[in-house]
Amino acid sequence: MIAIENENSGASLNPYAGKWGKGEALHLLRRTTIGPNQESMNKVLSKGLRKTLDLLLEDQPEITPPVNYIFENDPFVPMGNSWVDAPYNDTQDSINYRRSSLRAWNAEIMLNEGISIREKITLFWHNHFPIDLGTVSDPKYMYDYIRLLRTNGLKNFKNLVYLITTNPAMLRYLNGNQNAKGAPNENFARELLELFTIGKGPIAGPGDYTNYTEVDIKEMAKALTGWTDQGYYSKTATTIKSSFSVSRHDSTTKQLSPRFDSLKISNENENEYKTVINIIFSKPEVARHICRKLYRYFVYYKISDDVERNIIEPLASQFIAEKYEIKPILRTLLSSEHFFDISNRGTMIKNPIDFSLGLLKQTQYQLPSDNNKRSLSLQAIIRNIGGQQMEYFYPPDVSGWKAYYQEPSFYRIWINATTLNARMNYTNTLAGTGVTYNTIKYQIDVLKFIGTMKKVKDPNLLIKELGEFFFPFGLTDNQISDLKTLILPGSPDYEWEEQYEAYLKNPTSVIIKTALENKVRNLIKAMLTMPENYLS
Amino acid sequence: MMNRRNFIKNTGLQLTVPFLINGLDIFAQANSPFVSGMDPFDDKILVLIQMNGGNDGLNMVIPIDQYAGLMRVRSNIALPETKVLKLRDNLGLHSRMTGLATLFKEEKLGVLQSVGYPNQNRSHFRSTDIWNSASTSNDYINTGWIGRFLDSRYPGFPEKYPSADYPDPFALTIGSTVSQTCEGASGNFGIAVSDPKNLRALAENDKENFDSISYGEELKYLQNSILQTNAYSKLIQKASEKGKNIATYPTNNSLATQLKSIALLISGGLKSKVYIARIGGFDTHANQTIASDNTTGTHAGLLAGLSSAIEAFQKDIELLGLSNRVIGMTYSEFGRQIQSNNSGGTDHGNAAPLFLFGSCVQGKITGENVQISNPLSAQAGVPMQIDFRNIYGSILVDWFGVKESEVKQLIFNDFVKLPIIKNCQTSTPVREVLLPMFVALSPNPTWGPINIHLQSVGGDCHLHLMNGQGQTIKQQKWNGMFAGEQNLQLDVSDLSNGIYFVHLRQGLQHKTLQVVLQR
Repeated sequence: MIAIENENSGASLNPYAGKWGKGEALHLLRRTTIGPNQESMNKVLSKGLRKTLDLLLEDQPEITPPVNYIFENDPFVPMGNSWVDAPYNDTQDSINYRRSSLRAWNAEIMLNEGISIREKITLFWHNHFPIDLGTVSDPKYMYDYIRLLRTNGLKNFKNLVYLITTNPAMLRYLNGNQNAKGAPNENFARELLELFTIGKGPIAGPGDYTNYTEVDIKEMAKALTGWTDQGYYSKTATTIKSSFSVSRHDSTTKQLSPRFDSLKISNENENEYKTVINIIFSKPEVARHICRKLYRYFVYYKISDDVERNIIEPLASQFIAEKYEIKPILRTLLSSEHFFDISNRGTMIKNPIDFSLGLLKQTQYQLPSDNNKRSLSLQAIIRNIGGQQMEYFYPPDVSGWKAYYQEPSFYRIWINATTLNARMNYTNTLAGTGVTYNTIKYQIDVLKFIGTMKKVKDPNLLIKELGEFFFPFGLTDNQISDLKTLILPGSPDYEWEEQYEAYLKNPTSVIIKTALENKVRNLIKAMLTMPENYLS
Repeated sequence: MMNRRNFIKNTGLQLTVPFLINGLDIFAQANSPFVSGMDPFDDKILVLIQMNGGNDGLNMVIPIDQYAGLMRVRSNIALPETKVLKLRDNLGLHSRMTGLATLFKEEKLGVLQSVGYPNQNRSHFRSTDIWNSASTSNDYINTGWIGRFLDSRYPGFPEKYPSADYPDPFALTIGSTVSQTCEGASGNFGIAVSDPKNLRALAENDKENFDSISYGEELKYLQNSILQTNAYSKLIQKASEKGKNIATYPTNNSLATQLKSIALLISGGLKSKVYIARIGGFDTHANQTIASDNTTGTHAGLLAGLSSAIEAFQKDIELLGLSNRVIGMTYSEFGRQIQSNNSGGTDHGNAAPLFLFGSCVQGKITGENVQISNPLSAQAGVPMQIDFRNIYGSILVDWFGVKESEVKQLIFNDFVKLPIIKNCQTSTPVREVLLPMFVALSPNPTWGPINIHLQSVGGDCHLHLMNGQGQTIKQQKWNGMFAGEQNLQLDVSDLSNGIYFVHLRQGLQHKTLQVVLQR
C-alpha cells in the first residue's frame, strides 16, 4: 500500500474504486494506447479496471523484424526478406529503402497493436533516451535501438539504463564511441545524469547542480571509456554490436563529488559502467525524476506541490522498493483515484502520432493488403504526420520533444498555425474526399465506421455516441443539435433512419450511398476539427 | 388561326428579339456590367435563404382563381379566401406575409411560380443535394453551384487564399456549418460564423461549463489558437466592429438574426460574395395549421418569420445605402402535395414558388398560376414550370456577369436566361419578359394521340411529359424549330390512364398544361 494519509491532500494514489463506465474505459485506453476503437472499448468495459491493466501490462510476443517490400535491387536482401542482418550494398538507394522500411514497419506495429501499453511505453522511452535517425543514419542501428526499447521497456529501468549505455546507436549518438582514455568525451555522461537518470537540481554553486556536479560528469565520462560500436554501414558484417576495449579505457580511479558521497570508482573495465549507474541509482532523486516524467506523459504536465507530495513521492518510493521494476508503478499510477479524477481527464493535447495514427485506429482504417502498397501507404502517412512536427526516430535533440519538458507550455507546443493547418488538412482529407497517391487511395470508410456505433439509427444518439467516443467529455446538447444540421438540415429525425435503412437495403445504389455518405463525411470532418478532438 | 403579330398585340406586352451583331449577343452585352467598365465581381452580393424541409408553396403563394379546387382538396389547411393578401386579382400571399406583400408593391419582390426540376426526387437528402449542386435528378455531383462558379473565378483555391488581392472569405454561412452550395472541387469556399460579434461563441449558452477544470483551460487555449489561425477571423472581427444595422429586426426570429448579421458584415466592408442563411421546420407532415383558424399554426409562423425577416433586412440594406449591391433568393428542396393529408398536414411534393428580393430584381410574378385539376392524380405535386437551374444561371449572368456560354458549362447545357434581374446601374426599363407560350392540346382528354399546336418563336424546343409525382415519363427536343405555327405529335397510348402534364419550353416562352389520358 503506497498511499499517504494527509488530510490536506487532494491527490491520492489510493486505488480507484469508483464507477467503471465508458468514460473511465476510454480515458484509460486513450492514455495507454493509440486510438482506441469500439472493439477495444467494449472489451475493456467488460473486463473492469484490474483485468484491463493486466492486459495492458502483459508481455507481448517479440515483433518480427522489418522486411524489404519495396526495393528490388539489393543483392543481399531479395524482396520479402529482412534486411536487419544483411550487409550494405554500395548504392545510396539500397540504404534509403531500409530506412523507409524501418519507419513503415514501426508505424504498422503501432497500428496493429491491440490492448497493450507497449507502444505508448516504447515511444516514452524513445523520447526519454532520444536517438535521431538523421544523426546515427544507419537503419540497422536504429532497428537495434528500437528493438531494445520495445523488448525492455516494461521490465527493469536500471537494467534498461545499463543496456542503453552500451547500445551501438547510443554510442554513436552521444559520442560514447569516441570517449577514450586520454580523449574523454563528456557528452553521454552529461546526458546520462541530466536527462536519463537523476536530472538537474537547482544551481547550488558554479558547476553544482545539487544532484551532481561538473566533476561527476568528468569522472563518470572517464569511467565509461573503452566502448565502441561495430558494423556501421558495413558492407560485410551482418549484425551490429558494441564491444569494450581495455586499451581505450581509462583505468585510473575516478573521484566523485560530495553529491555522490565523494565515492571512488576503481577500475572494473567492462563492468565499470554498471558501477557508475549503480552509484547514480543509489540516490532517490532518480526515482522521482523518472516518476515525474512518467506522470507528465500519462497524466498531466502540471505537477503541483500536492501532486509532488502525494503522487510523485510515494510512487518514487515504490519504484525504489520494487528495485526499479517498471510495471508495478505503472499499475499503481494507472489504477489510482488521481488518475481517474475528473480534473485529470481530457487534459492532454494529443501528440501528432496519437492524433494521426490514432484516427486511423479509431476508425479501423484498412491498409492495402498488398505488401508493397501497404509499405508505401505507411510511408505516406508518416510523411503527413511529419508535417505536424513530430516524426518517430527523429526527435529534435537529446532532450526529446519539447512538449514533454518545455515549461510552461508543455503539450501546448504541439499547437501552432502550421501544425493546426496540418492536422486539419489531415482529418479533412481522410474523412472527406480522400486523396490518391501512386494509385493508392487514402480515405476513411465512414459508413462502415458509424455502423459500429450502437445507436447509428437515431441521429441524436448517434452523434452523442460519436462525441463520447472521440472526446473526453462528449458533446453538449447545443453542439449535438448544431452537428445534427449536417446530416439532417431542418428535417425531422425519422428521416435519418429512413435514409440509413434505404442504404442498408440498397448498398450497391451509388446515388443512395453517396448522398448518405456525403452527409456523414461532413459530420465526421466537423467533429474531427473541433478543439475537443485535440484532447485526450 | 392566331398569327404572331396578333398575339403580340393581344398580350399588350413589349417583346424585343435580341439581334446579333458581329456574332455577339449585344443584348446580353448591354446588360452586362462589363460595359459600364466596372469589375462585375467586385461588389455584387447574393444572399441565399435555404428553407429546410420542403415548403408548402400552395399555402404561401395562393392561386385565388383555384379556390374551389383548394377547398376541395385541402380544406383542412387552406386559408379563407378573404384573408389572402392579393398580389394581383388571381394570386396572393399567405395572410401573415405582410412584409413581402409590401415589398411586392415596391417592386422589390420577384415571385417565381412552380420552380422545380424534371424527374422530381422526393427525398430530403437527395433533393437538397440536387438543389445545392444543380445536378440532374439522376446524377450525383459533389460540388455546389456556387462552388463551381467560384472555382472558375478563383483558381488555386484553397491553397492560394486568402491572398493580398482576395483577403476576404468568398462565402459566409451564418451558423456553425458551411453550406454545400459553396463546395468547390478542392474545398468549401464558405466559412461558418455563428455570431460575428463573438467568434468564440461555439456553445456559449450551454449548461455545461468546463472552466473550472484543466480540460476547460486546455480547451480555451485550443479554441483561441484555432481562431487566431483562421485567416479570416481578424477580418470578420473588423467588419463586425466597423459595420452597423440601422433598421429594427424582429426578435425571436432566427432568420432575422442571421440576416441582421449579414447586413452588419456587408456594411462593415466584408467582401464575401455569397451569404447563406438557413431555417428549418418546413417539413409539415402534420398539423401545419391550427384547425380553428388556418391562418395560424406552424407553417403560418414560419412564413410570418420569413416575411418579417426579409422585410427588415431589405429595409436595413436600403438604409445602409447598399440596395444596388444586394439581392436575395429563397429556396426549398421541394414543395408539397396539392392535396392535404388527414393529419392536417401535407406530404412531399414537386415544384414550389421561389422568391427573389432586392432593389435589383424584377419585382413581378413569373409563371402561371397552379391549376388544381379534378380529379387529382394520386400524390400529385405541383408540376414544374420553371427549371431552377435557369434561375441560378440567370443570376450568374445578370448579377455576377458570367458569360452565358460559361453558365452552360457550370450549370447545364440547356440553360436559358430568364429576365429576373434588372440592371440597377441604369434605369433601362424591362427589355424582355418570360412569356407564357401559346399552346393548345387536343384532344383532351385523349385516348392516346396528342396534337400540340403552338406558336413557335424559333429555336430549340423542349418537351417534358410528367406525371403528378413529377416523374418525367417522356422527353423530346426539337432542334432549331422554325418560327410560326407548329403542330407537334405526341403519343401517350403506351401509358396508363391518368393525369399528365405537358411542359414545353422554347427560349423565353414556356407552358405547362394538364392532359388527361382516358381510354
